[in-house]
Amino acid sequence: MGIRLLRRLPSALLVLLVASFVIFSILRLVPGDPATSLAGPDAGPETVAAIRDRLGLDEPLPLQYVHWIGGLLTGDLGPSYAIGGQTADLIGDGLGATVELTLGALLFVVVLGTAFGVLGATARRGWVRATVRVLTTGALAVPPFVTGVLLVLLFAVVLKVLPSGGRVSVLTAPDLGVQYLLLPALCLALPSAAILGRYLKDGIERALAEDYVRTATAAGVHPRRLLWRHALPNALPPVVTLLGMQTGHLLGGAVLVEAIFAWPGLGQLAEQGLTRRDYPVVQDLLLLLVTVFVLVQLITDLVHAWLDPRIRWE
Amino acid sequence: MTAITLPAPGKPARRSPRHPYRAALASARGRVGLALVLPVVLAGVLAPLLAGHSPTDQSDLSLAAPGTPGHLLGTDDLGRDLLARLVYGIRADLGIIALAVPLGALLGCLFALLAATHPAVDTAVQRAFDLVLAFPGLILALAVTAILGPGRLPVVLVIALAEIPAFGRLLRTGILVEREREYATAARVGGASPARVLTRHILPNAVDPLVVQIAVSLTVAVFIEGAMSFLGVGVRPPQPTLGAVLSQSMPYLADAPHFAAGPLITVTALVLGLSLIAEALNREIRR
Repeated sequence: MGIRLLRRLPSALLVLLVASFVIFSILRLVPGDPATSLAGPDAGPETVAAIRDRLGLDEPLPLQYVHWIGGLLTGDLGPSYAIGGQTADLIGDGLGATVELTLGALLFVVVLGTAFGVLGATARRGWVRATVRVLTTGALAVPPFVTGVLLVLLFAVVLKVLPSGGRVSVLTAPDLGVQYLLLPALCLALPSAAILGRYLKDGIERALAEDYVRTATAAGVHPRRLLWRHALPNALPPVVTLLGMQTGHLLGGAVLVEAIFAWPGLGQLAEQGLTRRDYPVVQDLLLLLVTVFVLVQLITDLVHAWLDPRIRWE
Repeated sequence: MTAITLPAPGKPARRSPRHPYRAALASARGRVGLALVLPVVLAGVLAPLLAGHSPTDQSDLSLAAPGTPGHLLGTDDLGRDLLARLVYGIRADLGIIALAVPLGALLGCLFALLAATHPAVDTAVQRAFDLVLAFPGLILALAVTAILGPGRLPVVLVIALAEIPAFGRLLRTGILVEREREYATAARVGGASPARVLTRHILPNAVDPLVVQIAVSLTVAVFIEGAMSFLGVGVRPPQPTLGAVLSQSMPYLADAPHFAAGPLITVTALVLGLSLIAEALNREIRR
C-alpha cells in the first residue's frame, strides 16, 4: 500500500503544480486591477500606488507567485483584499459549510444509491423495478436547478415543513441545522445517487449470475445472505471508484446548489472573490478545491486496491 | 507491382436491417424523446410568431396570473409577458447550444486525432484533459466569465470547453480499439498512408459513440446555461434564457408559482427527451 502511494504521489504533485500556475495566471488575466477597485472611484493615483505597494502588486509576477506559494507552505495566507478579514478564516468558514453540505449529500448518495441498486436488481415486482428505472433516469437527466426549485416548491411552499434556503450550522444547532441541510443535500445528491444505483444494479445482476452464486444457492444459502454477503461485496470495487469520482462532482455541483439555496459555502465565496478581484481568496480557494479533488482520486485508488486483491498484489 | 484491391470493411450483421439511428428514433424511447423535444425546439424557432409581445417590454401588470387577457402565461415581477420570455428564452438556449456543442465536439475530435499521431502527443493531450476535468466545471465558468465579462460568448465557450474532454476521450478510445482490428491492419498492409487509414477507415467506424455523446452533450449544455444564470454569470439581463427566467422566479415561488412553471416544464421536457433519445441511440448502436 505504501509503495502504491509513493508511486502515485509524483503525478499528483505535478497536477497540483501545474494547477497552481494556471490559477495564478488566470487571475492575472482577469481585467481590472484590485488596487484601483479597492481605492474607489475618487481615489488619486498616489492612493492607488500606496495600495499597490501594500499588497505587493508592484513586485514582478514570478516573485508574487513565489510569495504566494511560500505563504501557503508556511501556513500564512495573509489578509483578503476586498472581502475583509483573514483569507484563512474566510476559507475556513466556507469550507465548513461546503463540507457539511457535501457530507450530507454523500450520505444521501450512499443510502439512495444502494436502495436504487438493490431494488432495481432484485425487486420481484415489475412495477418496483420500473419505478426505480424512471426515478434514476429522471434524477440523472433533470438539472439540479430544476430539482432544487421543485424541492423548494414541494417542501417549503406547499408542505411548509422545511426552509427554502440559508444555513444554520449542524454543529451549533443540530435539529435546526439538519432542517436547513436536508433540501440542498438531497438536491446535490440525486444525480450521483442515480449513477451509483445504476452501477450497483449492473454489478449485482452480474454477480448474481456467477457460478459461485448458483453453488451457494444449491448449498442452501438464504437469498438475502447471498445478496448482502456475496453479490454486494463483489459488486463494490467499481462502485467505490465511482463514489470517489462522484465526490469530486459533488464538490463542483455544490457551487450551483449553494447559489440555489443561499448556502454560504466555498462556491459563494469563489463567486464573491472573483467579482471583487480578491486575488488571495480566489487563488487559495481554487488551489484548495483542486487539492481536494486530487486527494479524493488518490484515496479512491488506494481503497480500490484494498477492496480488490487482484489490484493490491499487482 | 499490382494493386491490391481490398474488400470494403464489412459492418457486422445487425438484427434490424434499418440504419441504427433511424431505428433508434423509431423505438418507443426514441418516439417519446422526440415528442418531448420537438415541440420545445419548434416553440423556440417560431418564437417571433408565438410571442405577441417583446420579451423585454415591461408593464405595470406585475405578477399577473396565467390567463390574464393578452398574457396567456401571466407576467413576471417586472410585468413582462411570460410566454414571450419563455419562447425567446428557448430560442436563446437553442442558439447557444447550436453553437457550443458542435464547437466542443469538433475541438474534442481534433485533439483525439492529434493524439492518435504519436504516443507523446497522446500523453500531453490526456494530461491537458485531466487538468480541465480537475477544475470543478462551474468554477471554470466563474473564471472564464471573470476574464471575459458576462454575456453569450462566455456561456458558449464554457460549454464547449466542458465538452472537449468528453468527445476527445471517446474518440481516442474508439480509435485505439478500431486501430487493432483486422481491416485496419489490412488497409495498412495494402499501403494506405497512416492519415488515410485514420480518416477513411478507422474514423467512420469510431463515430457511433460520438453520436450518443452529442445527445448527452445537448442536455449538459442546457444544464450549464441554466447553472450559469443561477450563478449570475449567464447571458446578460434583460435577455431571457430558460435558466435566467427560472432563477428570476425563485424569490416569488410562494406567491407566484406560475412564474417558474414555464421554464420548469420546458427544461424538464427538453432534458428528459434528449436523455431518452441518447439512450435509444446507445441501445441500437450496441446491438
